[in-house]
Amino acid sequence: MLVEDHIKHNKRLTVFICGFMAFLFLLVISSFGYLYFGNIYISIIFGLPVALVYIAITYSFSVKTVLSAAKARPANSLVREEKLLMYKVEEMAIAAGLPTPKVYVQESDNINAFATGKKPEEAVICATTGAIRKLKIDELEGVLAHEMSHIKNHDILIATVTIGVVGAISLISEIVFYSMFWGGAGRGRKNEGNAIIMVLAIVLIILAPIFSRLTYLAISRKREYLADSNGAYLTRNPEGLAKALEKIKNDMPQGKPKGSKTVAPLYIANPFKRQSTNSIWSTHPPINERIKRLRSM
Amino acid sequence: MSLLLTIGIVIIVVVIMFFLIFWGYYNRIIRLENRIENSWGQIDVQLKRRADLIPNLLESVKGYMAHEKETLENVTKARSALMNAKTPQDNIDADNMLTGALKSLFAVSEAYPDLKANQNFLQLQDELTHTEDKISYARQHFNDSVLSFNNIVETIPGIWFAKRMNKSTKEMIQIPVENREVPQVKF
Repeated sequence: MLVEDHIKHNKRLTVFICGFMAFLFLLVISSFGYLYFGNIYISIIFGLPVALVYIAITYSFSVKTVLSAAKARPANSLVREEKLLMYKVEEMAIAAGLPTPKVYVQESDNINAFATGKKPEEAVICATTGAIRKLKIDELEGVLAHEMSHIKNHDILIATVTIGVVGAISLISEIVFYSMFWGGAGRGRKNEGNAIIMVLAIVLIILAPIFSRLTYLAISRKREYLADSNGAYLTRNPEGLAKALEKIKNDMPQGKPKGSKTVAPLYIANPFKRQSTNSIWSTHPPINERIKRLRSM
Repeated sequence: MSLLLTIGIVIIVVVIMFFLIFWGYYNRIIRLENRIENSWGQIDVQLKRRADLIPNLLESVKGYMAHEKETLENVTKARSALMNAKTPQDNIDADNMLTGALKSLFAVSEAYPDLKANQNFLQLQDELTHTEDKISYARQHFNDSVLSFNNIVETIPGIWFAKRMNKSTKEMIQIPVENREVPQVKF
């Protein structure tokens, strides 16, 4: 497949999975309304704004949260290695046609990098000192191009929104669960309604948190493939990123990985696990599969 | 009566649809054209920056490389070609000449250990390599922008609107083959 086809294919799949997530969310809210008010519209009218406000709040604090969780500091242009990192970030921004993001550095022996930022105009790219020291320039360029693609694709927004929706769904599910335990469900219902629909609604609300979590992880993995192929398109050199991923795979982390688990889905490769199998519970696709796809471009 | 009404509504809907599609394509074509202009501006800025760095570089190597007259002269010549270039392609050609001249200057500098240890020279070398990379990525972005513009104005239905707007395909910047490789700088 051509790089362009990879990009199109990954984009289509993400849109499809995001659509499924939205559908699931509406379904859960409607079931909630049906169980409590006997009317699905009331909960849609009240549920949607609450979810949107929740997402907006997490979104507006996302950059600060991420940077402090990763204990990152701004890059120092007096150190040659970090200046070359800033140079490379600027080059990638030019290739992508975006404003140059701020460059941060995280003290860590592991090879890793992440991007964050609400808009491409105020984005941040952070690389570990391990990445700066251990990667050759074309490999570092591949990694930075991958991060730049996350910025260009608005992946931070998509990640925040999906995490928000997952949170809202589990909250609704918990409310229903506890109120059923106390025998509160159905209090507000005027008619007895259809028993089958009611059972279905309860089952849906119980299963929804698991489904939404899995959908979120699927979106996260698809976005990684998309950023890989977009990054390869920016550098015109898929081999650079492939070699960097190979290095990350062979580079076993020294000691405990730094940073919190919140940041894990943002990194180029998950710092907490060296997974090689294709698990539905992982935030990133298996590294071998990513290398294979890059080399097939 | 109701038949006439139906036909009337259909015509109005079709006209509105046509207007909306035209609106969309008009804005898209103009936006892409502006993007091309903007990415050319980006290249231009980097070319100027590069030309500005050359005198400093020559100044810092002068003391060490007095015997490499030809190499230094080639750099000066390429720089003045770049300063005098008018068309985009002229600019790019002059820049390629400069890239070649600088490459041999940096190759020759390997033979001067004193120069290699000079912080000022090292910094200039880093920065010149950086501008060179920026120029090649800016060129790539320029060509990407031209490609998306050309794809719109050459395919249906974009071509119909482009004709009415007097827009036709634009030229890409030709990049010599040896310049496409990723520059290898060790650090």
